[in-house]
Amino acid sequence: MSRYSIFSLARNALSGHRNWPRQWRSPEPRREYDVVIVGAGGHGLATAYYLAKEHRIQSVAVLEKGWLGGGNTGRNTTIIRSNYLQDESAAIYEHALKLWEGLSAELNYNVMYSPRGVMMLAHSVHDNQVLKRHIYANRLNGIDNEWLSPEEAKRFCPPLNIGRNIRYPVTGAALQRRGGTARHDAVAWGYARGADGMGVDIIENCEVTGLRRGADGAVTGCDTTRGFIGAKKVAVVAAGHTSVVMAMAGVRMPIESYPLQALVSEPVKPVFPCVVMSNSVHAYISQSDKGELVIGAGTDAYVSYSQNGGLHVAEHTLDAICELFPEFRRMRMLRNWGGIVDVTPDRSPIIGLTPVAGLYVNCGWGTGGFKATPGSGHVFAATVARGEPHPIAAPFTLDRFRTGRLIDEAAAAAVAH
Amino acid sequence: MAELVTITTLPPATRFVVRGGEAAIPLIGRAFGVALPRDACRAASVPPRAALWLGPDEWLLLAPDGDGERIASEIGAALTGAPASVVDISDRQVALSVGGPRAATVVNAFNPLDLHPEAFPVGMCTRTVFAKAEIVLWRTAADGFRIEVWRSFAPYVEGLLREAAEEYA
Amino acid sequence: MLIVPCPHCGDRPEIEFRYAGPAHIERAQRPAELSDEDWASYLYLRDNPKGLHFERWRHIHGCGRFFNAARDTVSDRFVASYKAGQKRPEIPR
Repeated sequence: MSRYSIFSLARNALSGHRNWPRQWRSPEPRREYDVVIVGAGGHGLATAYYLAKEHRIQSVAVLEKGWLGGGNTGRNTTIIRSNYLQDESAAIYEHALKLWEGLSAELNYNVMYSPRGVMMLAHSVHDNQVLKRHIYANRLNGIDNEWLSPEEAKRFCPPLNIGRNIRYPVTGAALQRRGGTARHDAVAWGYARGADGMGVDIIENCEVTGLRRGADGAVTGCDTTRGFIGAKKVAVVAAGHTSVVMAMAGVRMPIESYPLQALVSEPVKPVFPCVVMSNSVHAYISQSDKGELVIGAGTDAYVSYSQNGGLHVAEHTLDAICELFPEFRRMRMLRNWGGIVDVTPDRSPIIGLTPVAGLYVNCGWGTGGFKATPGSGHVFAATVARGEPHPIAAPFTLDRFRTGRLIDEAAAAAVAH
Repeated sequence: MAELVTITTLPPATRFVVRGGEAAIPLIGRAFGVALPRDACRAASVPPRAALWLGPDEWLLLAPDGDGERIASEIGAALTGAPASVVDISDRQVALSVGGPRAATVVNAFNPLDLHPEAFPVGMCTRTVFAKAEIVLWRTAADGFRIEVWRSFAPYVEGLLREAAEEYA
Repeated sequence: MLIVPCPHCGDRPEIEFRYAGPAHIERAQRPAELSDEDWASYLYLRDNPKGLHFERWRHIHGCGRFFNAARDTVSDRFVASYKAGQKRPEIPR
């Protein structure tokens, strides 16, 4: 991997940008690896990166049925924050946030991390109480979060309508200043380039069709559309397709896959300085560096792998956006799409071991996986390398559904589902 | 020039929601004077009374204002122990009439059903949505609908109907 | 928006309905006798199929009834719907 720097930029500019090296190879799969990761999304690629970087495990393949980063990683609304309610969640999202802060330098790749502030709106007495409770819980965990009056919220985000006579009037807001956005594709590419540079094979257009197990029940590798690939350990990081892949090993999951829609407006000059989210309204909005307003909605109500949803869901979100930010009423929607979110009963992820020896799973991030990307990959890599959960990942076991130690983040997930 | 759509609030009425099984249905129909329709989404009327199918065992009964006590006691007497639920909801709902050549267009501004006469003929009725409210929609004439809406949503529904009328009629 | 086939009312727009999860999940006759694992399985484990899914819907802004449907979760096309209490139909592949 060649290092990006002002010198490499100058050198390549002088040769007409024709000599930039490829960011990652397209190798033929080998017959066997120490670790096979199923799913080349942000979390899977980050896992591969940290396996190589921190655990010196380079015999790693990341298998991807489509193109890397083409699933939820390429479809999310790029929000980063760590203001979840429960202690266990605060730990992992804050772990991720701290990694975000140094990620561009770590990867030698500009992931465009922008801590522009994430403001969660309150629209009722109940919302005020819930958000204040979150603020106190966050502060007890050393995470920044502060209460703003409607006037202070408008000072932080001038386009905000704090009029009293609207359907969802703003009664206050919780602001995490260290939250913000990053460029989603860049995160996948940065981790891919970094992992590839350390010898990890990223195998695209390679769909896993079966998980083979030996006589003792432990995994021995993956059947794929490009042949059998042996593995000592298999780590499934397949988001919305988790149930499909885990079923190949006979493991049923507490997961349901729903469509989640997002859209962008036509690009305009910089007008929106931060991220604003509203649980009650089911809308979240920020402005990309291309100038588009990036808007996300609640999930569609039914289980689906279609990556499509109903227009009425986006319409409901846009009704609320137009009321909260009246100057956007004349904007045109440019492009809309959907992803497949893997939702757990307590809206918290599942990270760790499974009933099948050698098989690990990292899933259930639902509508909030992007923000956790570096933290998730980091603790999952440690879990896979050591064969036991990293302390931060430990509470998020598959077993918690049997013991009842659920980690209820339905409110903090901030997206209706 | 004739109005393309007229929207009016209808006078107060007597209303019952009845639920009952196979034994009760003919008894209620006989006592009310209108056989309860068994086909889905059909209204039956013997003016000035009507019975609207809302579900497989649920009907909305409409009658002139003031008939409530009499209807309740007549149905009660006729049931002779057959299990049923008969609830006077006269004051829970308000009726709006939407009529004229553009009536369907105006209703369709906030209701997603196919209101073409072939898909929603005269005599068809159903509970459905109107923007964010719930209504019962009944086509009473080729160019006429009766909308039953819970009282607290009536200004909202009427307001939207009038806004749509300004735009489409 | 989906067009949902209510077995009582016919095809209706999705916004008249509320999705009610997978169908035919049977509650144990004597839940207190289940192991924690079996109880968790009943509460939380789901097939979540990429393909034919048997599910419940409620026509909440229509006839009000719960009913069951078979829908392909890739195309979102409804293949069948049937009244509550009826047996799951055989769907030819």
